[in-house]
Amino acid sequence: MYSFLFFLILEVVGWIFLALSFGVILVYMTMMILSSLELRDYLRKNQFTDYGDIITSPIAPGVSMLAPAFNEGQTIVQNVKSLLSLHYGKFEVVIINDGSKDDTLEKLIESFELEKTSFAYNSDIETKPVRGVYKSRNMSYRRLVVIDKENGGKADALNTGINVASMELLACIDVDCILSSDSISRMVRPFMEETNRKVIAVGGVIGIANNCDVQDGTVTRYRVPESILGKFQVVEYFRAFLMGRMAWSRINALMLISGAFGFFRADIVRKVGGYFPKTVGEDMELVVRMRRYMHEQGIPFKIGFVPDLLCWTEVPESEEILSRQRNRWMRGTIETLQLHKQINLNPKFGAVGMLTFPYWTVLEKNGPILEVLGLVYTLVLLLVGDFSALYFFALLVMMYLLSLLVSSFSVLYEQLAFNYYKDKKDLKKLIWTILSEPFVIHPKVVWWGIKGHWDFVKGKGGWGSMIRQGFKSAEEKKALETESNTQ
Amino acid sequence: MRRLLPLLLIGVFSLVGKVSSQEMAVPTQKPVLIELLRIQHEIPGLGYFLLLEDPLDSTLVQNSGFKWTRYDSGWVSGIKEDFTLLGAVDSDTVSSRLNFTILSEPVADSVAVQYISQLVSRGDIDLPLAQDGPQEDLVSYALKSPYAPVYGNRFSFTADLKIFIVTGIILTFFVFSISMFIVMLVVKSRKSKKEALEKEYDQMVVDPLTNLLFEKDLDEIRKMTEADFESFFPKHLLQDLVYREVLIDRIIGLNKKMKGEFKEKLKTLYNRLGLAKVSVGKIKLSQWHIVAEGLVEINEMDLFEYLPEVKNLTNSSNFQVRSLAVSAMLNLSEKSDLSFLRDQTYPLSQWQQMKYLRIIKFVSQQRSLKIEMLFESKNKSIRIFGYKLVRILGRIDLLEMLSSMAPNLEDEEKAELLKTYLELGAHMEVDFVNSCLESKNPRLLMQAVKAAKVLGDESTLEILLGKVAEEREFTTKLQIMRSIHELDKSRFEQFISEYGNSDSDLLRVRDHILDPRLANV
Repeated sequence: MYSFLFFLILEVVGWIFLALSFGVILVYMTMMILSSLELRDYLRKNQFTDYGDIITSPIAPGVSMLAPAFNEGQTIVQNVKSLLSLHYGKFEVVIINDGSKDDTLEKLIESFELEKTSFAYNSDIETKPVRGVYKSRNMSYRRLVVIDKENGGKADALNTGINVASMELLACIDVDCILSSDSISRMVRPFMEETNRKVIAVGGVIGIANNCDVQDGTVTRYRVPESILGKFQVVEYFRAFLMGRMAWSRINALMLISGAFGFFRADIVRKVGGYFPKTVGEDMELVVRMRRYMHEQGIPFKIGFVPDLLCWTEVPESEEILSRQRNRWMRGTIETLQLHKQINLNPKFGAVGMLTFPYWTVLEKNGPILEVLGLVYTLVLLLVGDFSALYFFALLVMMYLLSLLVSSFSVLYEQLAFNYYKDKKDLKKLIWTILSEPFVIHPKVVWWGIKGHWDFVKGKGGWGSMIRQGFKSAEEKKALETESNTQ
Repeated sequence: MRRLLPLLLIGVFSLVGKVSSQEMAVPTQKPVLIELLRIQHEIPGLGYFLLLEDPLDSTLVQNSGFKWTRYDSGWVSGIKEDFTLLGAVDSDTVSSRLNFTILSEPVADSVAVQYISQLVSRGDIDLPLAQDGPQEDLVSYALKSPYAPVYGNRFSFTADLKIFIVTGIILTFFVFSISMFIVMLVVKSRKSKKEALEKEYDQMVVDPLTNLLFEKDLDEIRKMTEADFESFFPKHLLQDLVYREVLIDRIIGLNKKMKGEFKEKLKTLYNRLGLAKVSVGKIKLSQWHIVAEGLVEINEMDLFEYLPEVKNLTNSSNFQVRSLAVSAMLNLSEKSDLSFLRDQTYPLSQWQQMKYLRIIKFVSQQRSLKIEMLFESKNKSIRIFGYKLVRILGRIDLLEMLSSMAPNLEDEEKAELLKTYLELGAHMEVDFVNSCLESKNPRLLMQAVKAAKVLGDESTLEILLGKVAEEREFTTKLQIMRSIHELDKSRFEQFISEYGNSDSDLLRVRDHILDPRLANV
């Protein structure tokens, strides 16, 4: 009887893996179709769009660019100058010095002729204490606001910026990002275009600046990074942005806007209580909470996505740093999914509840675990002599081909739509990366994901019990803060 | 997973019977069974006897262990329990002549198999594997005993199905991916070819266009015959879609840069070459991006004769088409008023407002636009756009009209109106501002507070002083205090000194308002 049960379990697990493989293929194929339709429509619409008017129009909304800085003394002045030179009429740059231990603040004060003001800071959203708000006496820097505060992490710094920001839209960016001069105009457009629904956030594509030529704050020549990890990330970013997010955007089910470059409607961000500083995945958590709020309030809304490459950043090329980043991403994902588990498979939340959330749960969060389980299953089959080489290799070939197809299409999309990497050598490098990635890089990514799970279980970072319990509603975060304030 | 569980359980129970019957592993093929019994020697209760036809089989008869008795058509042996008595006789030869007995009673072969199975499953006997191995060569032995694994055919159906599904998926996957790749490659190759062709045609159209524009005057172009044009722009090329598009783009590009007679020449050319008809043809198609292309061309080339066709598209369900059609109407129509905009049923987005505003600002310098018409629209977003236009175009003459409408407007419209009053310095609207200060709508209240700063009077100040004492929301309190400060600085200081000790926020607010670097923050 025991042997029967054992073999029955093996059989059932085999079927589950088969169903999963089939599901993965179906999901990626659907995403490919959706993203291509979205990209086609976007390019068509762009043909008839003139961004010239938006810079001076009195109707265009104001934008507060929020950029937290921690120990950025070496580059902060250049970065702020680059931000101040963006082409847009109504915007302010809010730099939040998050308790830097270096000379970040001193350099800002000196370079931009800053003076401490009597700004009446109000913690609408709870943050670490603010030591001062600075403005320049030089009118050339009138758009610049610098906040000096005690260290509290990126989310806390952004919340401080949100409390100070005075414009309708918030652009949350990494201070070391390189932004295209027309980035604000292009990102603001979806907010202005929609008529029947409120656009609450817009995400953008992040480009990889490693090995590229940068002149006057703009990337002038694109080159694929030299290291294999760098190349892998180029392909991965294309996959994530041009395929994944475009596809989700098509069905208004986008759940993640990159923390390095995202635009938000300030009133909604304030209503939900800003970023949640107790999670390491604050960017994703905010978007999910904003979505949840709009659903709970019954307000029609949309989260937009702009596929133009408007922001570049340096990605880690060392294995150690990349593994830490992936570990953090995994913990952030787990925490967000845990905090908002009520959304999962809940038709009340539309496409996000029924599609994106389960997708993130099964493929993004549990993907590494499932892959390891698949390996264990194969080993068990080998041990009991029930291993079918034909079946195993068929599945392996199938998944490898899927990986090649998805990656190739992402690169092809980029080539057809934008064509940033013009050099054929770069294309060859990317093709080799696509071919080798499943064997060379993917196992490492899986391992880093597993470590992320393990660290989450151990309770590294995050707000353990709260995260396990989850938010009962989108506005619960505000209530939590009020409680902690009164205690 | 919870939803999958019932399905799994059904799967489990449907397989139970099948799997448990396979644990015994007693061969059902008689020669194999006999071979097994020969190795086993004896099984309690199980016997056998042999039936032979005449003449007696020499090998069997020679076996002295059997006791043969004559019957009607042959010979029958006595019942034996020792299967080794069968000696080295071939199992195939024996199998047709051997009959099983259980407790000396003849039984069918299947009953004997079942009997052995029961003994095995109860653990009464163990069926051994061949200890000495086959007596013959392995190949002939294997032929006689087909491979039957212990757990063989456990889930034969499902195993086949799984490989079938995987194969199916791979095939579908291949077909899908290959077709997607082909589509992408075709698209890319078409794009490259089109780009090359466009480049070639572009070079071909530059010279004729330059010659016509700079060597001929407008009348000469008007008088040119088709044959004359043929020498500049061959007819067969004009029928080529790519050539036409390149020519259209070139003419539109030049039209944007040129002025006066050159513009007229280009328009004449555009009409004479039949390109205007091409543009109008586009707006009659169903694909929105082609319609949009047509609208852009009509707009850029000032083809006002086609305005009736354009007007039909001003209320199109497609955002781009609608926007471009309204832009074209605003640009080209010298006589028409804004009624087409007033009657729009779709909400006006900020993007559209921005585009229309640019055109209206320009057009309003040349002719009078009846902006007031927009106030009558049933569409709230159009009405709001009307109030914005009054503000941006500085139409003070319309303030009276707005004033009469104001009390009956929705809160969102009132807020927009307050912005307009503030911008135009409409001090006579102080009562309206004061009434809005009593609103429970935070957005309207905030706008009223901002307007009060410039438009307010003594009565406004009293309202604001009353409000600030009750106000809990910090940002609103800051704005109210700012307005109080602007209206009467001494009352502001008096209020701070009176309530500053009980409300710490007030002191911070005071410092903030008095800091000149924070004048706009």
